[in-house]
Amino acid sequence: MSAGDRARDVLARLVDASATERILISLASLVLAIAVGTVLILVAGRMTTCSAQSAVYYFNVGFCYDPVLVFDRLFLGALGDPFRGGWSPDGQFSIAMRETTLLIFTGLSVAMAFRAGIFNIGTQGQMIVGGLAAALGTLWASPFLSGTVGTLVLVPFGILVGAVFGGLYGMIPGLLKAYAEANEVITTIMLNFIAGGVTLYLVSDVFKDPNSPANQTVPLPDYAQFPAVLFGSRQDFSLYALLFGVVMLFALYYVLEHTSFGYDVRTSGIQPEAAEYGGVDAAKTIVSSFALSGALGGVAGALYVTMVIGKFQAGVPAYGFDGITVSILAGNNPLGVGFAALLFGVLKSGTTVVQFATDVPPQLVGVLRGLIILFVAMPEFFRLIGRRLLPEEDKSRAVATDGGERIADSRASSDGPSDGGVSGGEDE
Amino acid sequence: MSEENTTTLFGRDLGGFSSRAPAVAVAVGGLLAIFLFGLIFPESIAGTLTDILTSEGTLSSALRLSVPIALAALGGIFAEKSGVINIGLEGLLIISAFTAIYVTDITGGVWVGFAGGVVASVLLALLFAVVVIEFRADQIIAGLAVWLIALGLAPFASQVIYGRPNSPSVDTPGTITIPVLSDIPFFGALFDASPTVYLMFLAVGLSWYVLNRTTFGRWVRASGENPKALDTAGVNVSRIRYAAVLLSGVLAGMGGAALSLDLGQFTGNGPTMVNGKGFIAIVAYLFGNYNPVGAFFSTLLFAGLDAMQTVLQLQGIGLPRQLIRIIPFVMVIIVLAFVGRTRIPAAAGEHYDTGDDNR
Repeated sequence: MSAGDRARDVLARLVDASATERILISLASLVLAIAVGTVLILVAGRMTTCSAQSAVYYFNVGFCYDPVLVFDRLFLGALGDPFRGGWSPDGQFSIAMRETTLLIFTGLSVAMAFRAGIFNIGTQGQMIVGGLAAALGTLWASPFLSGTVGTLVLVPFGILVGAVFGGLYGMIPGLLKAYAEANEVITTIMLNFIAGGVTLYLVSDVFKDPNSPANQTVPLPDYAQFPAVLFGSRQDFSLYALLFGVVMLFALYYVLEHTSFGYDVRTSGIQPEAAEYGGVDAAKTIVSSFALSGALGGVAGALYVTMVIGKFQAGVPAYGFDGITVSILAGNNPLGVGFAALLFGVLKSGTTVVQFATDVPPQLVGVLRGLIILFVAMPEFFRLIGRRLLPEEDKSRAVATDGGERIADSRASSDGPSDGGVSGGEDE
Repeated sequence: MSEENTTTLFGRDLGGFSSRAPAVAVAVGGLLAIFLFGLIFPESIAGTLTDILTSEGTLSSALRLSVPIALAALGGIFAEKSGVINIGLEGLLIISAFTAIYVTDITGGVWVGFAGGVVASVLLALLFAVVVIEFRADQIIAGLAVWLIALGLAPFASQVIYGRPNSPSVDTPGTITIPVLSDIPFFGALFDASPTVYLMFLAVGLSWYVLNRTTFGRWVRASGENPKALDTAGVNVSRIRYAAVLLSGVLAGMGGAALSLDLGQFTGNGPTMVNGKGFIAIVAYLFGNYNPVGAFFSTLLFAGLDAMQTVLQLQGIGLPRQLIRIIPFVMVIIVLAFVGRTRIPAAAGEHYDTGDDNR
């Protein structure tokens, strides 16, 4: 791929787009994914069998699954039904917040790499490695401390260990890309399989809890786990962790937008040749971006261990893959990641509610995730519709395909042409 | 800017060719070393490995494991040669693996099911093609979306239809045994195999022929290397890319259908029964330098490793099962580290605008 041409192309297209448009496209993608999901639920409801009483009827046709109920459970049920009486934050709502917290970190991990022009599909593996390292590190250190002091020292220590090991694991595909030009999409996918296999071996053999049939480490002592505040104790959620996540959203935003490292990362992401010409060490930027991305994935793993399950267990849920969706939906903007993570946190929380309340297979949410990515990837489709609806709109507007957030950069860094009067947006 | 590009391209060009030879040498040399060591010390681990390497069972299961990967790799070659990076091969394999079983289950005909799997894969490839060619979506992101959609849709459908992510068992295509030839030691495995194995050989040969000896193949290559020239010559670039992506749907669909039908079941837990084969296919054709025959041999290398790890797990040579299972993935990374600088088609990954409205 002639990277220079491609980057120039991307840059030219993105200058014309705007942050508002990105937000509109993300929302439209979500709506469209729900619409397709509705059709899918109806079709699936015709393919399965159920009794006449349990079916719902639309236009005099009976369906076994009710899309209205499904999406009601998926969104409102996920938040513990805030519009019904007796809502408590300590129920399903905490689960949505817990998932949001983890997705903030995996989303930031993917976004960080994306901004440097890297597709890090390996957040899942980095999270697994960071999680196991955090568990083992905390277990090693926990006999030396106890009580509140133990919590104050051990929780940050666990997160640090997770970040370091996740970062080191992230450096592998970074080095391979920087010095061997190995395609990071493939290496990171392979490293995911390897992380899964190696950690499964470790927790089924070397570090296995002798008192449990499951493939897991010994449970962490209570004082080494994230403390719940205000609410969330029943659902393994800590408000501290969410706040930490929100702080990281702004921190990464600051690093990317207002530091020289962030400038190197962004320019390498947009136009690697120009960045190198301007004195950016491309290889170093790739490796350090990958390391930072992996570290964020590792923190997600550490939080999963110290906040959610209190030990490391083989078979970590696919937060890393959801992070890809979160980042793409957010246009790779760290602040946008916050909103996208909230949406997917709700979806993940809703998955279990849907499973309880309906017969619809929970894999539906996986399909929705794929559809959202597909639609976000094709902004031209929405522009086409937009042009049909608003014929007076500028026809020469070009295409943005990925990384909508880069729009803001290109405007900021190139003083490019105005975006047609459409301004405003999350980073304005 | 453009001069800079050309130099980079030439740099990659040279790098690609010079770094491939040592990798092949290392792989072949390593195998030979194990082989010789095993012959001299039959009691050692190398001896066991040699036994496994030379057993007819290993070749036969390596061939069986090759089918989905090789067919998907052929599909990937056509798409990428035409300028569309199809990272969604994994998704095409998943959707065809499930549909093949489903159609076989309801019609009772194995080959009807096979055709059903191919149709499903082609439809998903068509969606991908429309999104990428018509709506200029980023090829990598759209490819990931195809994978994720199939990864959710196949177990979803299985759950709706069968009430669980795994399908019931259906008939398999069985095996075709050629008399006399199948009695040859070791290579007899070539003549006592599932029809899908023969289909794979046919597809490899045909793909090579189409790509290198026909006008269509020349157009496909031009569409990926220099779409503008093709356009100037009066050939519709979009149409060639559509054809190539749909062809990748046909080939990957055959691979996915073969995968599930040879076992007579679809398993949809976790990463499903496809379990990364689509991604290994991508590595296989990169390693094979976009040559169908080269892709086949690198597939056979990965599949051979996979076949060996199954035997190794059974024999238990000291390495734990979970670690043996990751050997093929580690191999992929090592291979990529040596031949990472593959010379990919110049225009791959880029949208091509037929009109002159863009620039």
